[in-house]
Amino acid sequence: MATMLKVDNINVYYGAIHAVKDVSFHVDEGEVVTLIGANGAGKSTILKTVSGMLRTKTGSIEFVGENISHTEAHKLVYKGLAHVPEGRRIFQQMTVLENLEMGAYIHKNPTKEELEDIFERFPRLKERRSQIAGTLSGGEQQMLAMGRALISHPKLLMLDEPSMGLAPILVEQIFDIIKELHKAGTTILLVEQNAEMALKVADRAYVLETGSVAMSGTGAELATSDAIKKAYLGG
Amino acid sequence: MTFLSHLINGISLGSVYAIIALGYTMVYGIAKMLNFAHGDVIMVGAYICFFAVATYGLPPIVGVLLAMVVCTALGMLIERLAYKPLRQAPSLAVLITAIGVSYFLQNGAQLLWSANNKMFPNFLNFGGKTGLSLFDGQLTISWTAIVTVVACVVIMIALTLFTGKTRIGKAMRACSEDKGAAELMGINVNTTISVTFAIGSALAAIAGVLLCSAYPILVPTTGSMPGIKAFTAAVFGGIGSIPGALLGGVLLGVIEIFAKAYISTQLSDAIVFAVLIIVLLVKPTGLLGKQIREKV
Repeated sequence: MATMLKVDNINVYYGAIHAVKDVSFHVDEGEVVTLIGANGAGKSTILKTVSGMLRTKTGSIEFVGENISHTEAHKLVYKGLAHVPEGRRIFQQMTVLENLEMGAYIHKNPTKEELEDIFERFPRLKERRSQIAGTLSGGEQQMLAMGRALISHPKLLMLDEPSMGLAPILVEQIFDIIKELHKAGTTILLVEQNAEMALKVADRAYVLETGSVAMSGTGAELATSDAIKKAYLGG
Repeated sequence: MTFLSHLINGISLGSVYAIIALGYTMVYGIAKMLNFAHGDVIMVGAYICFFAVATYGLPPIVGVLLAMVVCTALGMLIERLAYKPLRQAPSLAVLITAIGVSYFLQNGAQLLWSANNKMFPNFLNFGGKTGLSLFDGQLTISWTAIVTVVACVVIMIALTLFTGKTRIGKAMRACSEDKGAAELMGINVNTTISVTFAIGSALAAIAGVLLCSAYPILVPTTGSMPGIKAFTAAVFGGIGSIPGALLGGVLLGVIEIFAKAYISTQLSDAIVFAVLIIVLLVKPTGLLGKQIREKV
């Protein structure tokens, strides 16, 4: 299987704070890979570095064989990288449809088929297409954020805490969608605090602790590992 | 009749404020900065048009277009040289830079064109008449006033369509809401900011010509007071809001003219600002200001 994303020995700082330390990992085509770990472990920082919003001091980030560690964020979208940021960050004052249009910005305008695709996957968005996005519920906003990323046909979809702040039933729904996307062949890099759910859908997982990779393995391996159970899965 | 005449003058002056306020409000909306040099871009536009028409004898419309081209370039240049390097700097640094740019433009104009008054020509003179006579000559509406109001309405409609319907217009709105998220959509935020400055500055050129057509004394500080008034209008209407700029501008113009006509010429500016303070006390976001709601 071809490597989609190869992160090699990156170090990221926020001023004096060393947030990500010597982290390396990779994501193969068609895989769902998850980064799990506690609050402040550096998971979101890693995603932001991959998508070009932050810079690494060392090492390299390769995306489909190309070093992207110095490429500007907006150019990476054209290369097929979609990042659904933490807190969803939908455009609150724009309509649902306009949000999707922004998602398809790199293709000028979304085609009818592209919109239908998204509406088929997220029927709620179709009902609310002309509604101002800020009035959607948390779950709907997450679906909009995911739809907005998927409409650009990304090679790699990066999701940052999609379950954050959602009711359990909605969390289930979001993870069902991730499973469906996986089945359809989408490559996904998932950052989650909800380790239990994340390990269930992931092919492979990396456990982060205070900025470094503490452990890695297949989702199933880690889900049964004693250390993980103790630290993240409540015994 | 005099009341009607004052009202028309007020709306016309307010339309100029509204066009200037648009530049403030659009730049604030997207770059979250107050571009205090905006008023001086107006002055540059007026000078360019003045020289094109009065010195080189070009047709007025060419003068206006030339002023728009020069101001657009100037606005983008100011953004690129003075503001872009400060994108990550604290907002006070940017504010002080903007004030610096403002003085730079005023002093530059003084150096190039001297501090002497220039009499701005009246272009709008049809068959020897400078206005439209109504009610057997009891009420005269100057062509300048008519053109100003029409220009303001056309600009408003055009901008509303631009931000509502076009791809780059929507990208502008996206950037004004969340630059990081906009970047993740593939929108080049720097280019979008640059386009916003270009549009605001082109509008400033139009405002400069309209302003000097109504108040024809042109000096290097011509833009500074209207600039501050238009900024007030933008805050009055709700900064960041395009309809707010229109409403704030027109109201400010009408209040100013009425205060001059019925209360006191000297106190008119004080009255205008007193009204602003009262509005802000009652509604801190301005008349049409957006309430920023955060949903996590």
